[in-house]
Amino acid sequence: MSTSPSEAQPSEALRVNARYFDGRTARAHPVTLALAGDKLLLRGDGIARADDIGALHVSEPMGAAPRLIKYPDGAHCEVRDHAGMAAMLAASHHRDSWVVHMQNRWRWAVGAIVCTVLVLLAAYRWGLPVAANAIAHRLPAGALDEMSQATLSVLDRGLVRPTQLTSERQSGITQAFARLVPPQGTDVRYTILFRRGGAIGANALALPDGTLIITDQLIDLSENDEEALAVLAHELGHVHHRHGLRQLIQGSILAIVVSWYLGDVGGLAAGLPTLLLQARYSREHEYDADAYAVSMLRANGISPRRLAAMLTKLEGTRRSGQAESDANPPPSPHGTMIRDYLSSHPATQERIEHLNSDVR
Amino acid sequence: METRATDASAFEFTGRGSEYFRIWIVNLVLTIVTLGIYSAWAKVRRLQYFYRNTSLLGASFDYHANPIAILKGRLIGVGLLIGYQVASNTSPLIAVIAFAALLVVLPWLLQRSLVFKLVNSSYRGLRFRFMGSVGDAYRVFLLWPLLGYVTLGLLFPIAHQRIKAYQHGNSLFASSAFGFSAKVNDFYRIYLKLFGLMLVPLTVMGIVLGSLNFASFSAEGGRDPGELGRTMMQVFFALMVFYLVIFLLIAPWFSARMQNLVWNHTALGSHTFESHVRARDLLAIYLTNFVAIVLTLGLFKPFADIRLARYRLFHMGLRTQGDIEALLAAEQQSVGALGQETADVFDVDISF
Repeated sequence: MSTSPSEAQPSEALRVNARYFDGRTARAHPVTLALAGDKLLLRGDGIARADDIGALHVSEPMGAAPRLIKYPDGAHCEVRDHAGMAAMLAASHHRDSWVVHMQNRWRWAVGAIVCTVLVLLAAYRWGLPVAANAIAHRLPAGALDEMSQATLSVLDRGLVRPTQLTSERQSGITQAFARLVPPQGTDVRYTILFRRGGAIGANALALPDGTLIITDQLIDLSENDEEALAVLAHELGHVHHRHGLRQLIQGSILAIVVSWYLGDVGGLAAGLPTLLLQARYSREHEYDADAYAVSMLRANGISPRRLAAMLTKLEGTRRSGQAESDANPPPSPHGTMIRDYLSSHPATQERIEHLNSDVR
Repeated sequence: METRATDASAFEFTGRGSEYFRIWIVNLVLTIVTLGIYSAWAKVRRLQYFYRNTSLLGASFDYHANPIAILKGRLIGVGLLIGYQVASNTSPLIAVIAFAALLVVLPWLLQRSLVFKLVNSSYRGLRFRFMGSVGDAYRVFLLWPLLGYVTLGLLFPIAHQRIKAYQHGNSLFASSAFGFSAKVNDFYRIYLKLFGLMLVPLTVMGIVLGSLNFASFSAEGGRDPGELGRTMMQVFFALMVFYLVIFLLIAPWFSARMQNLVWNHTALGSHTFESHVRARDLLAIYLTNFVAIVLTLGLFKPFADIRLARYRLFHMGLRTQGDIEALLAAEQQSVGALGQETADVFDVDISF
C-alpha cells in the first residue's frame, strides 16, 4: 500500500483477459489483468482490486488448462490467454519451479525415463534379493512348517507315490547322510523323505522347513550312495540358503510392484513378466546350492565329481523326455515345473563343467 | 465417438498424453529418488492436471489437497500395512484378528477419504463437501458387502446400489445437494447380464481344463513325465486367456453400463447429469491401451489414462435448469488426509 495510485499505471502491452471468481458465489466475472509495479491490477464490471504480487499464488502451467491466480481471501482468476499470461509473468519476474521446468522439456523426460529404468534394474538386481533374504530369515518356523506341509500334501496327492525302497536301503542312506559333517559349522535341521516319483521322475526337492524329498528313480540312477548323498547335500544347500522362501518372497514382491504399476491393466500382465524375471534367480540359487554341496562333500572326503556325475545322468534322462532333472525347492509344484521349463536347461551343462573344474 | 449429450452442457477435457507423460515421468523419478516421499506432491500434481483440464460451462475444476496432509496419511497407511503384514505372519489367530480389525476400520477410513476428496475439490471457486455419516459408512461398506458374500453374491447388486447412493446422495457442491435416484432393480438388471456374459468364458474354461488329462500323471510308472510341464504351461496360458477375456471384453462393458446408470441418475439440485458411454468404444480403448502398455513396457500408461478420461468425460454432460451461477458458496471445512491415503495403500477403489 506504499505505492500511490498515480504511480501504478498499467502498461497497455500487458493486459490479459481472465475470469474472476470471488470464492463466495459461482458467478464468473469477465475481468482484465494488468501489472503495475509490484501490484496486480484487476478490473471488471463493478470489480476492481490491486494486490501485491508477492501475496498471490500462480498455478503451474498444465497444457491447455487455465492458469489460476489465487488470492489470499479465497478468490481466484482463471486465465486461458496463455501467451498473455506468459508475457505478464515474465514482466513480473515470476519463476516457475524447477520441477515445472523439467516437466516442460522432453530432454528431462527422456532423462527421467533412463533414470527410472536404471533405478528399477538396480532395485531388481540387488535390492530385491537382499530384501527377500532379510525377510526369509525372519519368518518364524511355524510359517515354514505350514508352507512345507501344504506343498508336501500337494505332491503326495498325485505327483509322487509311496516309496518302493526297502527300509534297510532308506535307513542306509539316511544314516550315511547323518554321518556327514555339515560345512563350516552350519547346522541345518532336515528330514529325508523317500517317494516314488510319478510325474516328477528322478528328482530331489527341498522344502523350506528342511524336508528333503528324494525319489526312488534318482536312487536307481545313482551308482553308489555317495552320488545320492551329493544330491542330498545340494538340496540341503537350498534349505540352508532358504532359496525356496526367497524365491517365493521375490515373486510376491515382483507381483505386487508390477500389478501396482500396471494399475487397471491388472494382474493379467503381471503374471508373465514376473515369471520370466524370476527365471534367473533359480540359476544363481543352483550355483549357491552347488557350492554348499561341494564344501560339504569335501569336508567328508567325497569328490564333488559325484554331484557332477548325477547332474549328467539327470540331464540325460531329461533329454529323453523328463520335465526336469534337479528340482528347486518349489513355492508350489507348478511354479517349479514352469520355472525349470523356462530356465535351467542351459545352466545344467555349465554347472557340470564348473563342478568338474572345481576338482584340483 | 459421435454420440454426445446434445442439449446438455458437456464436460470438456483438454488433457494431452504428451504433456501428462512428462509430468508423470518427472514426478515418478522424484518419487523414486526421495524414496517415496515426493509421491504426495506427485499425486496432487497429477490430480490437478486432470481437474484443471476438465471444464464445464466454461469453468475448470481444481484440486487443493495439501501434500503434507497426504504424506502424513500415506505414512500412517504404510505403517498400518506393515503392522498388518507382521501380525498376519505371527500366527493364524492373530492374522484373523488383524484382518477383522482392518475390516472394522476400513469403512471409517473410506468415509474420511470421501470427505477429504470432496472438500479438496472445487469448481468456480466453491468447494464440494461430503456429509455421509460414519454409521452409514459401516452399513454400506461393511454390512451390505458382507451380506452380499454370505448370499454368494445374490445381494451384491443391492450392496453396490447402497454404496453409490451413499457416495452420490451425500455430496454437496457449495450449498446444493447431489441426489441419487438409481434403484436396486436397475443394478440387478446389469448384474444379471454380467452373469450371462460370464457364463460363456466360464463354460469354455471348464471344457478346456477338463480336456487336459491330469489323471495320466498320477497313473502307474510316471510315463512321459515331460508332458506335465507342458500341461502346466497350457493351464497357465488358459488362465491367462480367461483373465484376458474377462478383463478386456467384459470389464469395459460393465464399466460403461455402470457409469451410465450411476450418472444418469445423479442430480445436482434440479440439474441432472447425463452419461452416454458406449460399451464398444470403451472396449476398443481398453484393448488398444492394453496392447500399447504391454508393447511399451508400461510407458504408455499416462497416455492410456488421458485417453480413458477424455472419452469418459466427453460423453458426460449436465442438463441445467435456471442459473447455476446463482448458487451460493457455503462455508468450508478441513479434515486430515489420513482416510484417503490409507485407503490408497489398501487399494480400495473409491470411484466417485
